[in-house]
Amino acid sequence: MSELLQVTNITAGYGDGPAILDGAHLTVEPGKVHCIIGPNGAGKSTLMKAICGMLTIRKGDVIFKGKRLNGMRPDQILREGICFVPQERALFPKMTVRENLRMGGFILNDQKELERRIDGILERFPILRERADQHAGTMSGGQQQTLAMARTLIIKPAIVMLDEPSLGLAPKVIQEMFDIMKMMSAEGVTVLLVEQNALMGLKNSDWGVVLDLGRTLFEGPAEMILSDPRIQELYLGGKKAA
Amino acid sequence: MTVTLQQSTTSGVLEARRLHNEKLARKADQTRAAWFPLALMAVLVALPLLQLTGNYNYVLHMVLFTASYVAMASGWNILGGFAGYISLGHAVFFAIGGYFSGMILARFGVSTIVTAPLAGLVAAVIGYLIGMVTLKVRGPSFIISSIALLMIARILFDNWEFVGGANGVTLPVTSLPVLWAKIPYYYAMLAIAAFSVWASYRIKHSKFGLGLRAISKDEIKAESAGIDTRFYKVMAFALSAFFVGMAGAVWGEYITYLRPNIFLIMPIAVNLVLMAILGGKGTVAGPVIGAVLIVALNELFVAMMGASELNILGTGLVMALGLIFFPLGLVGTLARRGKLPRVLNWD
Amino acid sequence: MAEILQILILGLALGGVIALMGSGLSLVFGVMRIVNLAHPSLIIAGAYITYWAFKLLGVDPIVMLPVASVIMAAIGVLLYRLMLERQTKSAKYSEMTVLLTFALAMVVEGALGGLFTNTQRIVSPDYATDAFFIGDLFIPKGQLYAGIVSLTIIVGLTLFLKYSRLGYAIRATTQNREAAELLGVNVNFISVLAFAIGIGLAGAAGSLVSFVFSFFPAKHGEWIAMLMSVVVLGGMGSILGTVVAALFLSVIAAFVGAWIGATWSTLTFFVALFLILLVRPQGLFGEKPEMA
Repeated sequence: MSELLQVTNITAGYGDGPAILDGAHLTVEPGKVHCIIGPNGAGKSTLMKAICGMLTIRKGDVIFKGKRLNGMRPDQILREGICFVPQERALFPKMTVRENLRMGGFILNDQKELERRIDGILERFPILRERADQHAGTMSGGQQQTLAMARTLIIKPAIVMLDEPSLGLAPKVIQEMFDIMKMMSAEGVTVLLVEQNALMGLKNSDWGVVLDLGRTLFEGPAEMILSDPRIQELYLGGKKAA
Repeated sequence: MTVTLQQSTTSGVLEARRLHNEKLARKADQTRAAWFPLALMAVLVALPLLQLTGNYNYVLHMVLFTASYVAMASGWNILGGFAGYISLGHAVFFAIGGYFSGMILARFGVSTIVTAPLAGLVAAVIGYLIGMVTLKVRGPSFIISSIALLMIARILFDNWEFVGGANGVTLPVTSLPVLWAKIPYYYAMLAIAAFSVWASYRIKHSKFGLGLRAISKDEIKAESAGIDTRFYKVMAFALSAFFVGMAGAVWGEYITYLRPNIFLIMPIAVNLVLMAILGGKGTVAGPVIGAVLIVALNELFVAMMGASELNILGTGLVMALGLIFFPLGLVGTLARRGKLPRVLNWD
Repeated sequence: MAEILQILILGLALGGVIALMGSGLSLVFGVMRIVNLAHPSLIIAGAYITYWAFKLLGVDPIVMLPVASVIMAAIGVLLYRLMLERQTKSAKYSEMTVLLTFALAMVVEGALGGLFTNTQRIVSPDYATDAFFIGDLFIPKGQLYAGIVSLTIIVGLTLFLKYSRLGYAIRATTQNREAAELLGVNVNFISVLAFAIGIGLAGAAGSLVSFVFSFFPAKHGEWIAMLMSVVVLGGMGSILGTVVAALFLSVIAAFVGAWIGATWSTLTFFVALFLILLVRPQGLFGEKPEMA
């Protein structure tokens, strides 16, 4: 048992609305890529928001490295080392690429160190270096997603949560996003991914989680989930349920 | 690491999903009491009989005054409540109606009670034209455009010599004895108010009304569902201007003068918004209850404090507190809690 | 020629003050999506603070400016906490804030009217009635000083937003609130801060207004549409745009006033607002439909 993040039976929802999550659990192991799949409205994004502190957790626990994260603010959770890239609009469109990266290290106090890390990121992503002084909003979808993912590396997080990084991107570009994700994983960053395209997501992951109706139905190695007939039928576009 | 592949079946998951969805759905209360507004109407129609027993002009005045606001707030509600476009400039149509019928009265001696529907129509046409421009934008932009509209109209009327500029026009006083002087206007305004409430009910339950409510929830989706949102919105604007204009027409003759600083002022525009919102925006009964409440509250303020500054302060406070604590208005809040008395459910 | 130049100078000087009046409004909208209809009434509150400090203690309005802005900023924090903070969860947030701040404007107007009556007031330090003469041209000292102070404050604000860490956080929150929160910006704090700065700017503008325009509690009604047109033309949220639009519109208004008639000069701003509506159907503030 060497879990990095343990989510047990949480209940959460927006405002005083109904509970979107009700009995979701999740185990995250260090260094692996985890993929959460499930139908629309299952609570996938909600689960990520609950983990990173954007939603109040009504019941259950989020334990990270043995520490309880419930009730902490997003900035505090970020300082613990969990970074969340929300769907689509994660950037500051009227800031330059460099300014966006600088915002990525907002919680760092050492400005010199921050500039060093920004240069390091620009070094590793030539596409961003070329556009360092361009407004982020003027870049293509793939470039923007690259920036959003690269930006998380500034603070050297333990876990990066990505909410549908492939959304609205061309198939060829999607593969690039998964490549960046694998690279992050190879560097020891643990990745938690929400993917609408369940098949593609699972194929690029080590561990799979099936979320439906606000609770976790299955959790297991990705290849095991891929080969389970019930899951194929319900979530992977296999033969329709009767 | 344990694998938690739970033992569940496909049909089990589907069944659970169905139950889950049912849990999220809210049940709506469908009972309504149409007899109450009708009974109220009957009482109000009989009310002038009081004059046979003494001078109850004050009572008649208060009912007439309230009725004018019922008509205007209900009219406002068509645009602001059903379609979700909040206008802080509807006093403009009050003025257009008042000035149109008032000028005809001053020039040709035709009573505004006769020309009120025509005044409403004029207001509606102008509303239609203005709506063509301002309804291109929504939310805060629209609210601000409506404020600007009121400001522009005020400057124009203040400088329009034909209608007397800032001094306005004095209208002929009725020749009826004091005891009966208010009666024609009383019934006219009551009829206008009843007509606007009835119309607002019919609109709410029509295809048109459904379209407006769709627009207020999500304009883009409404449009993609095949609703001609532009036409719907502009029509709602015109209709709301119609009722406000009619009320303005009769009001001008009743108070016997037209003047920009009586018709084209912010407090009137604000009162409409306040009444509809505090009563319950988008409901039929809301603007009526709001009108009664605000008129009563205003009387109380004036009686207690007199000074107009404190009146403004009071109105502002009521508006702020109402918005903070009853954003859905009286009818809306009660209905959501399932505590709306049947007599107030006219939808 | 001299006449044209003279009108231009007067227009620009007034534009400088109007720019400061609008910049707080623009900032508050940019960061918090609050269309603060109470802004002009809070400017008038700032003007009263300055007025009484001058009248009772003889403090110069420009010296009083920092004090008035701090007082107003503190009031801003209070107002935000009391009525606006809880609205952030509302689905109709923008609309609610418009209505709430409108109500607030009435409360401020009523309170000021109850306290100080609706008498016209103006602060009259020596320089307010003095002027520099260059040949045939005259530049009123009061308006010139007010314009210079105003532009200095705006330049300071712009530098603060562009280069300081808090400025980064404010800009980031303006552009993408959720992402800023996820990168560790305490957006609630930033919101309070930006609102306080915005209302502080209203206080500062009030100090300058106090000796440039005569004022009374109900005056704010005229200013709402004027400031809105400036801020909207400049691109809501953009301070630089606000400055340019303020200078541009007040110069036009000065010409309209001189050549057509003083009554019509205020109309310039309203007509500008309508023209923008005609050419910018996507909305004055470029808001997305679902945001409204």
